[in-house]
Amino acid sequence: MIKKLPKLLGVGALALSALVGSARAEDTVKVGVLHSLSGTMAISETSLRDVLLFAFDQINAQGGVLGHKIEPVVVDGASNWPLFAEKAKELLEQDKVPVVFGCWTSVSRKSVLPVFEKDNGLLFYPVQFEGEELSKDIFYTAEAVNQQAIPAVDYLLAQGVKKFYLIGTDYVYPQTTNLILYKYLLLHGVPIQNIGGGLRKGSDGKVMSAGKYVPFGYTDFQQIVADIKQFAASGDACVINTINGDSNVPFFKQIVAAGLSPSDCPVVSFSLAEDELRSMPTRNLVGELGCWTYFQSLKTPENKAFLKSWNAWLATENYPGVVKEHRVVDSPMVLSYDGVYLWKAAVEKAGSFDVDKVRKVLESGTISFDGPGGKITVQGDHYTTKNVYIGETKADGQFRILKTFDQVAGAPFILKGLGVQLAAKGM
Amino acid sequence: MNPLPRPILFLLLTLGLLTPRLLAGPGTEAEVRHDLVLTLLSHGPERHELLHQLARSGSKVAASVLTSWTRGEIYAYRTPGGKTIPVTLEEQEDAKGLARAIRIDTGAVLVDAKGKALKFDDSTLDTIDTDMRLRMDIQQAIDVLSLASPVPDERRSAAVKLGNSGKMAYLPYLEERLTEEKIADVRRTIEEAIATLKLGSSDPSVQIKAARNLARLNALGAVDVLTQFVANKSADPDALAAARIALRSIQEHISLVNFFGTLFRGVSLGSILLVVSLGLAITFGLMGVINMAHGEMIAVGAYTAYLVENIFGSGITLPFFGFGLHVPGLHATGSFYESNFIFAIPASFVTAAIAGLVLERLVIRFLYRRPLESLLATWGVSLVMQQGFRMVFGANNVQVDSPSWLLGHFSIDDVMFGYNRVFVVGFAIAIVLGTWLLLTKTPLGLLIRSVMQNRRMASCMGVRTDWVNMLTFAFGSGLAGLAGAFLSQIGNVGPSMGQTYIVDSFMVVVVGGVGSIVGTVYASLGMGSADQVLQQVLGSPVLGKIIVLCFIILFLQWKPGGLFATRSRNLD
Repeated sequence: MIKKLPKLLGVGALALSALVGSARAEDTVKVGVLHSLSGTMAISETSLRDVLLFAFDQINAQGGVLGHKIEPVVVDGASNWPLFAEKAKELLEQDKVPVVFGCWTSVSRKSVLPVFEKDNGLLFYPVQFEGEELSKDIFYTAEAVNQQAIPAVDYLLAQGVKKFYLIGTDYVYPQTTNLILYKYLLLHGVPIQNIGGGLRKGSDGKVMSAGKYVPFGYTDFQQIVADIKQFAASGDACVINTINGDSNVPFFKQIVAAGLSPSDCPVVSFSLAEDELRSMPTRNLVGELGCWTYFQSLKTPENKAFLKSWNAWLATENYPGVVKEHRVVDSPMVLSYDGVYLWKAAVEKAGSFDVDKVRKVLESGTISFDGPGGKITVQGDHYTTKNVYIGETKADGQFRILKTFDQVAGAPFILKGLGVQLAAKGM
Repeated sequence: MNPLPRPILFLLLTLGLLTPRLLAGPGTEAEVRHDLVLTLLSHGPERHELLHQLARSGSKVAASVLTSWTRGEIYAYRTPGGKTIPVTLEEQEDAKGLARAIRIDTGAVLVDAKGKALKFDDSTLDTIDTDMRLRMDIQQAIDVLSLASPVPDERRSAAVKLGNSGKMAYLPYLEERLTEEKIADVRRTIEEAIATLKLGSSDPSVQIKAARNLARLNALGAVDVLTQFVANKSADPDALAAARIALRSIQEHISLVNFFGTLFRGVSLGSILLVVSLGLAITFGLMGVINMAHGEMIAVGAYTAYLVENIFGSGITLPFFGFGLHVPGLHATGSFYESNFIFAIPASFVTAAIAGLVLERLVIRFLYRRPLESLLATWGVSLVMQQGFRMVFGANNVQVDSPSWLLGHFSIDDVMFGYNRVFVVGFAIAIVLGTWLLLTKTPLGLLIRSVMQNRRMASCMGVRTDWVNMLTFAFGSGLAGLAGAFLSQIGNVGPSMGQTYIVDSFMVVVVGGVGSIVGTVYASLGMGSADQVLQQVLGSPVLGKIIVLCFIILFLQWKPGGLFATRSRNLD
């Protein structure tokens, strides 16, 4: 008898799941969530999973999408890029989800892209990135370079900053962003000797890479900070920081030790949002700058309502693995959240979950959502138009908002256009 | 809407009725506030004029209000009577997101007719707008104001900004400040700023004097201005020659600064490597245990520093395997709180030593004759410990604030010495000296050396080798803990922080020669200096590291035993 028990249980469970399945199939729609819930990226990506679950619960409480309750299928990419592609395939081919929300790193997005293109899926991508990509199957709620790096530089130029030191971690996002900024600065009359960090030229004499690069996990910033100090000695200088991950801690500690204060030489960082600041010594960062399309400190009614209901959800939810204490909200999370509502609006307008129909509606440029960070609209080219904010870090890890750029349209390909403009000026 | 109609205000200004008092020096706070309100509510050219006068007031209130203005945090409140009162909102908000307003004219809280504080949401108030031109004017007023700030650093950075503004109008402010300034460093910056501004004069004799002054001051910040000046062919030939000489002399100074700077950075990086690997030089070098858990011993030390800091602060609650373990805090403040790092150092040594002791008793002592198994076992232990840190302290890195006496730096002739880097050099010297004394001058050291040289012979002589092994391993682990305490001041503290240092540690010990403490010292200093020099020469940290690694591979081909290969007579 005991030997047979597992078998019996198995059969029972199968029958049960079949029953539940058939009961649910009528009024639910499966939606994919593809993030790393383990491995190195888990620290960042689990927050996105949490906010997605929150958005689904919020929508379900209001009656779902087209009368269907959302049933999330959460899969773990495990910070393993080939696994991301496998999981995407599983979501699209087995679960047949009409939409997936997911990916953080650009490499994970590049890895799932062919799967989505082959299986005609729909992916909403929420994390600031280097642009230079356009896929019919991906909608980018993320900040494009002209919605983060370029507004930040515009702001600094308007503040009278004349010298820019570029530093980043050695991989695709910082390299591309810095190359774009290098060209953008030249176009805006910043002389080449005022762009710090060094240039590397290819065999054809063209600049291939601008700025100083360090490997992941680098800790010894003495030399680089001494270099920055010399660069900033003449005043009116700033640092554009695309260092990723925890190398920022030794970097900022060294900046403070060298006595480089934000009034001498502000550092504007593109990879440090509220969530990252939780594990950083914020005392060393007070007054440094950040640029995102959302800050938790925004005082709009939409944001206040969002934070209120997010905190209420955190207090009552009982999903396994969702941390309840010391939570903050930041731009990648809000852009994930916006993605869900944009998809919902498109589905309702199309009157169908069909990927092709939804895509067509999204591409019409009429779908927008009044999200916590302000109005966000999907453009015909799959990028999004939204507000951009410049903020100054406070000691509590939040930002004081210094400047708002209203409704900036995302531009997919910047590098080539800048190159053409530079060539036209003979530079 | 203005408190004074525009024509009258303009008249007052042109008649100079407002000017004499302002020129007479810093006004009282009430006067400054009055002028601030005038400035905020005025328009066009008189605003510009008023800003210039505010700049002369040297008032802190003016600086802070003007700063808020550039940030768009000054609002115009319209009273029911139709008057306009400029206000700013308090940072503190109540539950509804409303904040009290502070009147600019009095500095008091804005109240209604019944004396009750009015509260606002910032979106319901109109900001007093600024445009780019105005913001630049305000910014320069702020800079002139900060020239009189009580904080030397602010005075210095204001001087740099004014010096580079290219506006001769600031010369009198700077010259006035120079006569009052006491701090040498700030004086030098102000002199530099004056000379930089004078270089833009139209009189060649003034330019020549300015260039000579810049050369005398070794003004690093003037390189850009001088380069531009030299490129301008239409300038006076004598002034050009003087500028060229100045530029050359400053550039020579820069290369000298870079040389000594690199030297110091090399020594400090070497000291960090030494601090990190000295513990391994004992456990791996002397005892022969391939100790993959060395990095986690460093992490134990770093987490201890974190705990000590929190105990000095407000205490901490740790989710200790399902239980909330609350460690009460001392709520220390001031210099007592700042001294927490002094207590953290011995505490880190003790906790890491205890962790090492436990590890030795439970695992290592069974593996002394099987080095390869010890590699696997300690690697496993390191994974277990990392997971343990995650469970107790969370997967995120934790924040360790540096005490203020370790932040900052001092400069000798523009060569920068960070306090934390100077500290690590001294720290390294102290622990190497301590280790050397322990090994050569104490009875325990004698026992350690005898056991390490020949375990069986020592045992025959009545030495309790078991006991000596245990203490040696604990000592090596304690040294790793010390390294962790220091690393918490310059880097990250997280569950996998040990992994960052383990490779470097093994490299140092192997290059130095396994078993040789002196070798470890030389190897770490050599590797640190080589890294910094290559970084300076090649301009790329990645390339520098690659070359150092290649060099080490070649070196080990040539001398497999490392710098100081130990020759022993024992046969095992």
